[in-house]
Amino acid sequence: MTDPKPPRRFEVPTESAKTAPQPIPSLATAQHFPLESVGARVEETPESDTRAERAVDDALSPPRKRRWGLMTLLSASLVIGGIQCGVQVYEAVIQNDPFSGLWAALGVFGAGLLARSGGKELLRLKRLRRHAKVRKRLENTPLDQPLLADTARHMRVSRDDPHWRSYQNAVNAHHDGDDIRTLFSHHLLGPRDRAASQLITRMSSETAAMVAISPITLLDMGLVAWRNMRMIDRLADIYGLELGYASRLRLYRHVLANLAFAGASEIAVDMGSELLGMNLAEKLSSRAAQGLGSGLMTARLGLRAQRLLRPLPFTRQEQPTLGHVRKALWQQLKRTDERRG
Amino acid sequence: MAWTLPRHIRDVAERGLDRQVRLAVTGLSRAGKTAFLTSLINQLRHAGLDAQLHLIKASREGRLLGAKRELQPDLSLARFPYDEALSSLGETPPRWPTPTRGMSELRLSIRYKSERPSKRLLGETSTLTLDLIDYPGEWLLDLPMLRQSFLDWSQTMNALLTPSRRTHMAEWLEAQSDLSPDQPADEQQLADLSAHYTEGLHRVRNNGGYFIQPGRFLLPGELAGAPVLQFFPLLSCADWSDEALEALPPESLYKTLKARFDHYLKTVITPFYRQHFQRFDRQVVLVDVLTALNSGPEAFDELRTTMEALMQSFSYGRAGLINRLFAPRIDKLAIAATKADHVTPDQHAALVELLTQLMNEPLNDLRFGDIESKAFALASIAATEARRLEEHDAQALSGTTLEGEHVLMFPGEVPSKLPDAAFWARQGFQFTGFRPRPHTEGPLPHLRMDALLDWLLGDKWQ
Ligand SMILES: Nc1nc2c(ncn2[C@@H]2O[C@H](COP(=O)(O)OP(=O)(O)O)[C@@H](O)[C@H]2O)c(=O)[nH]1
Repeated sequence: MTDPKPPRRFEVPTESAKTAPQPIPSLATAQHFPLESVGARVEETPESDTRAERAVDDALSPPRKRRWGLMTLLSASLVIGGIQCGVQVYEAVIQNDPFSGLWAALGVFGAGLLARSGGKELLRLKRLRRHAKVRKRLENTPLDQPLLADTARHMRVSRDDPHWRSYQNAVNAHHDGDDIRTLFSHHLLGPRDRAASQLITRMSSETAAMVAISPITLLDMGLVAWRNMRMIDRLADIYGLELGYASRLRLYRHVLANLAFAGASEIAVDMGSELLGMNLAEKLSSRAAQGLGSGLMTARLGLRAQRLLRPLPFTRQEQPTLGHVRKALWQQLKRTDERRG
Repeated sequence: MAWTLPRHIRDVAERGLDRQVRLAVTGLSRAGKTAFLTSLINQLRHAGLDAQLHLIKASREGRLLGAKRELQPDLSLARFPYDEALSSLGETPPRWPTPTRGMSELRLSIRYKSERPSKRLLGETSTLTLDLIDYPGEWLLDLPMLRQSFLDWSQTMNALLTPSRRTHMAEWLEAQSDLSPDQPADEQQLADLSAHYTEGLHRVRNNGGYFIQPGRFLLPGELAGAPVLQFFPLLSCADWSDEALEALPPESLYKTLKARFDHYLKTVITPFYRQHFQRFDRQVVLVDVLTALNSGPEAFDELRTTMEALMQSFSYGRAGLINRLFAPRIDKLAIAATKADHVTPDQHAALVELLTQLMNEPLNDLRFGDIESKAFALASIAATEARRLEEHDAQALSGTTLEGEHVLMFPGEVPSKLPDAAFWARQGFQFTGFRPRPHTEGPLPHLRMDALLDWLLGDKWQ
């Protein structure tokens, strides 16, 4: 309180007292958090990471270095190829050579397609980079309304979205950082969190059932990897992000490798500890147990991906746990097991 | 005492089911108790319809369905005049509700949907019975008297006579100057002197004083004129030895005053704690920090010492007086700076900080006694609207003053630390009384009432 601002009176604008000074649209900066801040941050990873989870982290974080050389090479060859084909079309028209002309036209078309998906890929990478930046900013600066409006834009929530509107309706100039965190979590993230949890539960119990009834082990490794990919893709979509080919490729490679080589032992370990949490009196067939293992694996990956994709970190109470998924899994498996007899 | 027993047992049974809460609201007079309770009842009655209670979790999740008034259980207590308060807010021009005097009560039953599936199975909706009790904070100032003898108390009161208090109390000081402890007591003389003393206390109070003892003198309620309220400190005791005073006959002035003092402790203070205070579950203490800040250093310091004395009633630590005498059970205590609509939203954080600093010592005691406590800044009934002035790059308040003039102003910055001499020298704060905004129907506008309610009662409608 070095130099408190003195009290002052302002002219009341006649007539338009309502219109001239705007109702405060947003909070002023720097908020003190009250005594006991309710939103305790969740510590990173309570359980030890499996390798597959680390793969998710890796794929969902933006690439650390930009490969300028590779990018120049690719784009330059695309451009040159495109131009060359264009020239060929021109020549073919002059020389009245329909076949080489058509081939060249196809070449131009192909180059265009490649350029387009290349551009898209770059855009997605940029968004991924921005995602990391947004998360960091949300964690390090006190929350205020412009910041969260920015986050919503990043999540591709439109101004007419009912969730956004109910959030706007709820926030008020006198709300402090914790309040708007609560309101944002409730109105904007709440529905998305629920959708994500449902998806994870469904995907993991389906995966478990598939593995439980599939006859060939190798086949289900592939199956599991593919389904995990789809799940992470859709999770990203829920939080307004889109994975590029590069991320996907990395994810696919990692997940597959982990499942195929390290997977077996990890699943066994996982299962051991997870089974303790369940009713051991009921026995499962060994196929069903394998199914359970893959189901749990999928669930863990899903939860991990969700945690990375959500722009605001979960508070301790909000954090979804494996426990919810486990129950659904167990029921699903018992059902399939019984059906198989 | 016997007739309270069944009530206690019923309390215990209902509390066991977690369906009943007794929420007490207190504060020194003019702190804003009446406005607070009016708004609280109003917000809850509009819950589930059009109330702006976004910071209550149950309300956000659509689980708070509504509240209605019930017949109050304690027929000997006044009913909180909610309808009267609301209709005075609806007048043109709107008027602040008439302050309540003494203790009043109102029972609400709140319907909500439980979060827990097991509870939801039992019935579609659950009901929470909320008893709201309003009582003057001055009554809590009497607690330290329980530990004192009449002689001790007279000396404490003597020490309290600052020069400014002496001017307010001049009449009484003058009248009692020739009293001697051994003179025979005259009923009429005692009544006159007590009247002077009470008038003096009123003057002190109206001039920014906060520490008033005995608390019941200002708001006597049904005891007005009764001899139990006709005593005063006997300053001339100081010249006498303890033995000499003890040896005086029962009709002497000293012995008469002493008997009335003891009677006051036994029939006024103790019953309040026994029959009411002991049964509160949750407590709100309202503090009008802004008015004190506006009145100057002396008032501000006095507010601080007064709050310290008042908070003794909640200091449940092993050494606390309250614990040795009674068995209180308050487990959550909210301390709120009221009238936050007198400052711009960017000052609210500083206001909470200042309140925390003001209550620093009492709050430490609370933590010791395992009471959860939290500080808030709120406006029960927001009389102003915050505006942003782009051309000045500043926030300002727009409202109508009590005199009816429409103003747009920045009232100054609230210091976030206890103000020092430099602050007072600049006197950087200007407090203007505002008239409530016109209100016809719908919920009353408020600031952060929902945050307080969620913290205080959130666990009850889980
Ligand atoms: N602006 C504003 N003034 C308030 C508010 N609450 C109380 N006041 C003012 O404080 C005065 C005293 O409040 P009241 O509730 O009667 O105090 P009580 O003696 O503790 O019951 C009222 O007349 C109002 O002028 C509030 O939320 N906002």
